[in-house]
Amino acid sequence: MRVILLLMLFAVASKNILATDGSYAFNKIKPELLKGAHVVKRFEEIRFSVKSIKKAILYHKYAFTVLNEQGDIYARLLEGYDKIHSIESIEGSLYDANGTKIKSLKKNEIQDRSGTDDNNLADDSRVKYHNFYHKVYPYTVEYEFETEYNGTLFFPIWLPIDNEHVAVEYSSFKLICATDYVFRHKALNYREAPKESIERGDKVYTWEVNNFMAIKDEYASPYWLEMTPVVFLGPNQFEMQDYEGNMSNWQDFGKFFHTLKSGRDQLPDQVKQKVHELTDGLKTPEKKTETLYKYMQDNTRYISIQLGIGGWQPFDASYVANKKYGDCKALTNYMYSLLKEIGIKSNYTLVKAGGNDKFFIPDFPSSQFNHVILSVPLEKDTMWLECTSQTLPAGYLSGFTSDRYVLAINENGGHLIKTPKYSWKENLQSRKTNAIVDEAGTLIIDAITNYKAIQQDQLHSMITGLSKEKVLEILKEEIDLPQYDVLKYEYQEFPSVLPEIKETLKLSASNYAQVSGKRLFVAPNILTKSARKLTPAESRQYDVVIDFEYTDIDTVEIKVPAGYIPEAMPAVVSLNTKFGKYTSSTRVEGDKIIYYRAIERYGGRFPAADYNELVKFLDQVYKADRTKVVLVKKEG
Amino acid sequence: MKTCITAMCSLLLYFFAPAQDKAPVKFGKVEPADFEIKQVYDTGAAAVVIADVGESYFEGNSKGWFTLIFKHKKRVKIINRNGFDVGDVQVSLYSQGTDEERLQDLKAITYNLENGKVVETKLDNSAVFKEKINKNVIIKKFTFPAIKEGSIVELSYTIASDFLFNLQPWEFQGTYPRLWSEYNVKMPEFFNYVFLSQGYRPFHIKKQESGFQSFTIIESGGTAGGSSDRYDIRANTSDFKWVIKDVPALKEESFTSTLRNHIQRISFQLSEYRKPLVERQVMGNWFTVSENMLKRQDFGALLDKNNNWLDDELKRICGSETNLVEKAKKIYAYVRDNFTCTDYSALYMEGEGNLKQVFSKKNGNVAEINLLLAAMLRHENINADPIILSTREHGITNELYPLMEKFNYVVIISTINNSDYVMDASRPELGFNKLAANCYNGHGRIIAKDPTPVYFIADSLKEKKVTSVIMLPDEKSPSKILGGFTSSLGYYESLSVRSQLRENGQEAFFKKIKEAYTLDVTLDKPVVDSMTKKEDPIQLAYDFSFEMPDEDIIYINPMMGEGIKENYFKAAERFYPVEMPFAMDETYILDFEVPKGYSIDEIPKSAKVAYNDGEGFFEYMTSKDEGHVRLRMRIKLNKATFEAEEYDSLREFFGYIVKKHAELIVLKKAK
Repeated sequence: MRVILLLMLFAVASKNILATDGSYAFNKIKPELLKGAHVVKRFEEIRFSVKSIKKAILYHKYAFTVLNEQGDIYARLLEGYDKIHSIESIEGSLYDANGTKIKSLKKNEIQDRSGTDDNNLADDSRVKYHNFYHKVYPYTVEYEFETEYNGTLFFPIWLPIDNEHVAVEYSSFKLICATDYVFRHKALNYREAPKESIERGDKVYTWEVNNFMAIKDEYASPYWLEMTPVVFLGPNQFEMQDYEGNMSNWQDFGKFFHTLKSGRDQLPDQVKQKVHELTDGLKTPEKKTETLYKYMQDNTRYISIQLGIGGWQPFDASYVANKKYGDCKALTNYMYSLLKEIGIKSNYTLVKAGGNDKFFIPDFPSSQFNHVILSVPLEKDTMWLECTSQTLPAGYLSGFTSDRYVLAINENGGHLIKTPKYSWKENLQSRKTNAIVDEAGTLIIDAITNYKAIQQDQLHSMITGLSKEKVLEILKEEIDLPQYDVLKYEYQEFPSVLPEIKETLKLSASNYAQVSGKRLFVAPNILTKSARKLTPAESRQYDVVIDFEYTDIDTVEIKVPAGYIPEAMPAVVSLNTKFGKYTSSTRVEGDKIIYYRAIERYGGRFPAADYNELVKFLDQVYKADRTKVVLVKKEG
Repeated sequence: MKTCITAMCSLLLYFFAPAQDKAPVKFGKVEPADFEIKQVYDTGAAAVVIADVGESYFEGNSKGWFTLIFKHKKRVKIINRNGFDVGDVQVSLYSQGTDEERLQDLKAITYNLENGKVVETKLDNSAVFKEKINKNVIIKKFTFPAIKEGSIVELSYTIASDFLFNLQPWEFQGTYPRLWSEYNVKMPEFFNYVFLSQGYRPFHIKKQESGFQSFTIIESGGTAGGSSDRYDIRANTSDFKWVIKDVPALKEESFTSTLRNHIQRISFQLSEYRKPLVERQVMGNWFTVSENMLKRQDFGALLDKNNNWLDDELKRICGSETNLVEKAKKIYAYVRDNFTCTDYSALYMEGEGNLKQVFSKKNGNVAEINLLLAAMLRHENINADPIILSTREHGITNELYPLMEKFNYVVIISTINNSDYVMDASRPELGFNKLAANCYNGHGRIIAKDPTPVYFIADSLKEKKVTSVIMLPDEKSPSKILGGFTSSLGYYESLSVRSQLRENGQEAFFKKIKEAYTLDVTLDKPVVDSMTKKEDPIQLAYDFSFEMPDEDIIYINPMMGEGIKENYFKAAERFYPVEMPFAMDETYILDFEVPKGYSIDEIPKSAKVAYNDGEGFFEYMTSKDEGHVRLRMRIKLNKATFEAEEYDSLREFFGYIVKKHAELIVLKKAK
């Protein structure tokens, strides 16, 4: 599954405020701004001038004072462009600690690089790059450039503090447009309304921040855009390569994408025939959809081609039928066309994909998406189809696109809906382990594990995406045991809307139990040790946000060698917190150690004050998972 | 015309391939039976190369010289979807100025078996994309259409090249197993190429036969419409043929410098022109190559120039220093601390070669930065010569032949008062007279009037680390243990610690150390010595304390988090040599005073094992007396490189270490 519609987080804009000699001097920075900062943004002006529905100019000027090597990454220009966005001019200067200019950018030092990665067969995105490579700290770089927008589908956002360790002295964002131009804006973590003024007959809206201290990112913090000032802009009327649209509401915005794809659903006759052949005998729309989805998966593969409007417009269904490949737009449109052939309606659905970033503003219609999936509204439920995957079961979305807002599009336009959420009850891992330990400390392990929903995502990619040999290689490297061999391994998939994988493993782990003279130390938690330990925070600033929720259940039986009796046993641990529940217990029955462990981890948003409780919970789990049974050999 | 070419191909094939030794396929003809692979060579493979056949020969051209023709045909069976990447093809073409290699007769056909019939889908030529990678490399990219599980794909193309040095090498091995890999080269006697072959698989066919070829060369007149000259050359040829069958897929292994050293491969190096051509040595020897490099504007030519644009800066850097070694150190540190290396794989300067520009833009590739260093040293009358070498991931170099593409790195050597000092100013963490571990890759060459070989051998790098831990009970609170940790790191671990500290800061570094303890420890007084003295290894020290758990039986690992927890060598078998970056030598000493109220019930047994008869040893000596537990542990290996045959004993050796490192001290509360 790959991301294609690029989310453009650009910013830019001016010409008036000139850095007079010395104004970038290091000693003019307020001391409190240096706290926790690697760089200080001394000045930034972004001006976005909307010239017409087709055209806009983005002017961007900024200056960073770099305090140490870790700030070097900001001391450069890295600006993307493509067929729709062209960079018109670039200026740059370097200043020393006193704010004295020591160098200017030379045109021939600007590098022009491809902006694409290896995943793409063809892509027109490119990058301009420049760096002064200065190494005497502190120093200041200043860049100024202009980008021309030949299309207004994307408006820039203003994110003056875009990363941790960045402090900001001053940053401003202006939108300049005709007095009758209608647009929308939305600010987060920014209290005031924009200042409005008139300049040379144009309306100017201004947002600005002064003296903003660096933010320290914390474990399980909220999305970045929830922590720092940000302003979004959105046009109402817009145009993109001769396609016009309106995004004042989701419905109209959806219409634009519907127009882009309309007429692209024609299938070649032999495919039509095949579709009927496959589905005419089937009774329910569910069965038909599943069958065609499987057909689509078996007969296509994902290849990314992004050129010009092709970044937003799908290839014809007939193109996919012939070449048997396409990107997410093309494959989704193809699937849509297959279903249409037998009268099943489906919605081409825009989504912002990615495991960790579900940030979305539902009440601000704009281009917040980077991927396309298909939703099929059926009588009982909606069936979700990820068309770039050749292996996912019909109806299951995986962590890549689950639990978030999406824009479903049909001939009536777009409407915002949510994809299903997989909770801690669904994301279940249950494992039964039988092991035998010998006097030398070697353990023979038989483990049967069922992984469900998001807990099986990674495993699913591994067993379907890699050769058996490679899977074995990974198994031989990745299991958290000191030295072991994989004697047997087997996977069985149970595809459904909540898919499961059954894993059967046989391992031999030498030196698993520690032998010291007459004693044997055995940690009964063999395969499900928690890995995370946190350090308590003296002061936590932001809420604790946990997204992934799950349950792990383990039962373990370990047969111990004859003649050994328990000398010490781990205590029963039972924890119940708002972050989750944990219980583990160990007992001896005859020559067997019986261990039981269950953990439930809940997602959600918790107040910052609760952070240390999370630390304590994880720490207790970490320790409990590593306690050992001490066995001692009976004398005589 | 087309038939003519086909006819010629079959003719050549006829010459080269006696019936019993032919590739097991007929290219361009796929029958339903071909979809079954009779020989399931590697059950796990996602695709199998049925046949990969290449051919190189020479033709006379109309530019008054010769053209190299490379024909490539390949048939692959895609077993499952994980083999779809076979369908993504890139052909790389060499270019120089307006001259570039020509890709001709490109055909990519996908064959699918549908209802017992073979259906072919051809590549649409509009779906071939061209991308310029750099000034010398262009790639043509495309993807096979209509690929499914079970498809057969067949690729064929020709590259016509006027660059005679670019006689295509052949790789018999790749990501997927190959049932038949064949290369044919027809070499006229008037060209001589040096052959370089590597790999461990036996050849199925390896032969050289005599042949014959006529060449027609047309040389057009100087002016438009001028007359052209036509030459006919008849020459004997050597016709080579190499075939390897059933080559397994190439496999990554840990502790391998690069698979490039091991892949089964043959390559060629143009060495001379012979009669009837004007006789000439093309490849040269180390003397001629070194001389040429010293003359090149983008390598040695600028080193001896007056370079007076350096006057002021060098005055500032050197001050009144007169000792040459001290001066060299200052210049080295200046270049290292003020310039950023943007490319760690470069043998020459960018473009035409301009040191002054490198100096002003403050960045450059590794060649530029170190050549600038050499120029600055020479400016101060300190002798300085470049050494060219290949970093480990780039593969080994050839000592005998000056094959320049095998080199990718430049460092500097200075001889001052009969002592040699090596320098690499491209890496911010390195010290004077030190090289990074990946430069220890065997042969390198000093580029000077007398081009002497130099050897940087990983076995010679001794990474010596000594750690000592003292623990004793707190007098004020007997259940609390106070500890002191000091460690003198090896040089290469010091480099990595320095860069971690620089990137993440000291706080984060010690936080990680704290989190590595299973116990709840509190760290205090962290000290990192020698942060700025980059020639020296780092000394780490901190105090720690923890509470004894309130239990009757307490077990403590005496390695205190310093032990090796997992065997480095997890894989059960090994095909290539184990190449570690250096020879390790680690010592760990513990002195633990057990708190009153506890008795020492058990301590791990002492042990000593030798590795391969004195090539190394592991020692683990424990003792207890009067409430003290003491441990002295040492792992020492005398070398860094181990043959694949030694793998089992190496794995066993480390397995034993892991086991001993996990053993516990048992304390019992006195009743």
